Amino acid sequence: MHSACRYHPSPRTLAGLVLAATAPLLGTLAISPHSAAVDLSNMALMYVLIVVVMAVYFGRFAAILAAMLSALSFAYVFVPPYFSLEITEAQHLLNAVIMLAVALLVSHLTSRLKQHAESAERKSVESTKLYELAQQLAGALSREEVVDYAAMFLSRSLGAQKTRIVYADSGKADDASVSHALVEQCIKRHRFLTAPAADGRKLFYLPLSSAGGSPGALVFEAESSALENSHTVKHVETAASVLAVALERSYFVDRARKTEIEHTAETLRNSILSALSHDFRTPLTALIGMADTLLDARVSADRQQYLLESIRKQALSISEQMTNLLDMAKLTTGPQHLAKAWQAIEEVLGVTIREAGAHWPERPITVQIAADLVPVNIDAVLMERVFWNVLENAAKYSPAGTPIEVAAVRTETATEITIADSGPGIPPRQLEHLFERFARGQTESDIPGCGLGLAIARTIVEAHGGKITAENRPEGGCCFRICLPLGDLPDFDAMEATS
Amino acid sequence: MTARESILVVEDERQIREFIVSALTGVGFSVSEASTVAHAASLSATHPPSLILLDLGLPDRSGIDFIRDYRAWSATPILVLSARAEERDKVDALDAGADDYLTKPFGIAELRARIRALLRRHPLTQATASATLRFGDHVIDCVNRIVRRNGLPIHLSQIEYRLLAFLAANPGRVLTHRQLLTQVWGSRALESHQYLRVYVGHLRQKIEASPAQPKHILTEIGIGYRFEP
Repeated sequence: MHSACRYHPSPRTLAGLVLAATAPLLGTLAISPHSAAVDLSNMALMYVLIVVVMAVYFGRFAAILAAMLSALSFAYVFVPPYFSLEITEAQHLLNAVIMLAVALLVSHLTSRLKQHAESAERKSVESTKLYELAQQLAGALSREEVVDYAAMFLSRSLGAQKTRIVYADSGKADDASVSHALVEQCIKRHRFLTAPAADGRKLFYLPLSSAGGSPGALVFEAESSALENSHTVKHVETAASVLAVALERSYFVDRARKTEIEHTAETLRNSILSALSHDFRTPLTALIGMADTLLDARVSADRQQYLLESIRKQALSISEQMTNLLDMAKLTTGPQHLAKAWQAIEEVLGVTIREAGAHWPERPITVQIAADLVPVNIDAVLMERVFWNVLENAAKYSPAGTPIEVAAVRTETATEITIADSGPGIPPRQLEHLFERFARGQTESDIPGCGLGLAIARTIVEAHGGKITAENRPEGGCCFRICLPLGDLPDFDAMEATS
Repeated sequence: MTARESILVVEDERQIREFIVSALTGVGFSVSEASTVAHAASLSATHPPSLILLDLGLPDRSGIDFIRDYRAWSATPILVLSARAEERDKVDALDAGADDYLTKPFGIAELRARIRALLRRHPLTQATASATLRFGDHVIDCVNRIVRRNGLPIHLSQIEYRLLAFLAANPGRVLTHRQLLTQVWGSRALESHQYLRVYVGHLRQKIEASPAQPKHILTEIGIGYRFEP
């Protein structure tokens, strides 16, 4: 839409004036041959009609011009004495004056109506834009998103460019073109300020004040005439207040997130310390004891063999727990970077199953992969940890020699991987705490581990936007279900065609 | 075995070095030891070994540097020993030209198996290059670029053929994504790991009895692929 706030006459107004100048003359020419047959008052009505049409389509000025010319033509051509502006009869004078009055009144009313309609339409467009902005901002959680939406809004409303937010306390601006003094000024005075920019454009500073976080200013570059109109200023200021609220919210969301991260890191540190002191000390004590027994020369050869095997097993289990602790620490401290790529899930599962086959050769592991699986967007290294941890859990908590069933299917929204065993299942009251850190299925048991495997699995799956759940199967044993969202698959066929 | 095969163990932790040495001499290998990159470099030049066992975290220089320098003049297989925290280093070492890796902690049985597999591929006398590669029921005729299963030709696209031939020419060796991409597509496709996965998928459909549980093209997650004949 072209801006209506310019004061130069638009082409439409000019065309209206030209038409207004010619229409009464043309009308006069058209009717003059029949002047004898047409009543004088009907002729007057024709002129009124012309004036009304001008008022409706071209506004007030065209209508007034048309009214004047109509009155003159009427008096000159049709009112006796003909072809003279003299009016002899009072009745004819009254005729011409009423016509002029009606024409002016009608043109005034119609053009006012038109102005109202136009301003209502403009307001509705503006409020739609504001509504859209507010709606987009409702979903924005980070400062970057808020700035993006603001930039989009301003570029559509004002053709603004280089939109950014400058905070008063940020010390110095990121780019040299922004004056920090102006930012502070505009915040202090609660009104927008401008500074000249390149190419006759201007840099606008719009204050964004909010209760939380630091006050700042919305800075953007636009045509110098962009904020000349008071309607537009109001519109943009309303948008700025909506933006300020969104920014404030993003600030608090950010703070809440940071606090939570600090809190979890703290809890994790404590848990790791307790795990190290208990879960590691026990197997280490056993290791020392067994080594001492071996040093004692009186141990039988059979017994020696047994002790050596136990030492090996214990050491491997400590190593595995170490791995889990390190993984957990890596996953919870600092933001986790996922090296995501589109990957066939059966390829990742295949690796886990291959390793499991080598680890527990006596375990029958059945695999059922649906034919219609699509690639999933995952960090394969981490996802392999998930499958391994769940599979290891199944192997640990079900009797040796019982089968483990692995399956992958595709549902409407997700790829679903299930890993089921035929063990004793999980006591119902433990089901809900299963994925918490340091949760153990059987608290005092000889099954090694420190209860991190499933917590790691959950952390990784959730980082992928997926879900992991566990349930007891009606036929016995428990079943872990990992759902990974399908996502928007890239076009692999097109990729191949270009290779 | 014609001569006693010699293995150079480069590892700075004395305890680990000792257990490796005793595990290897026990089965008839002659073993030399080094605890720094500098020592390893001079030993490998004066007494060329048949295989090098290399720890990545060495006190003087990085093991990856050693691999790069060594690969400039020797094709002797290198088996890297890495700790789990060094995931990235592992890939770099393989990219630099290492043949395989073993993650600590590892057992002696596994260590010996890997060493044997690598030595089998690189016998003391350089093998006469063969234009025919065999695996399972398959035969690759590298001259006519034809792959046959039980005598019947399998239809492979140009890329699929190149990929399979390169994998099969390096049995048992871990080939990184980067190595495969450079070899098969040339340097322009270096970042598109996706291409590779798609083509490996196709290849498995054509040569594996059960593509979901492959026997020949094995995935090394986060690293690349290993071909088992």
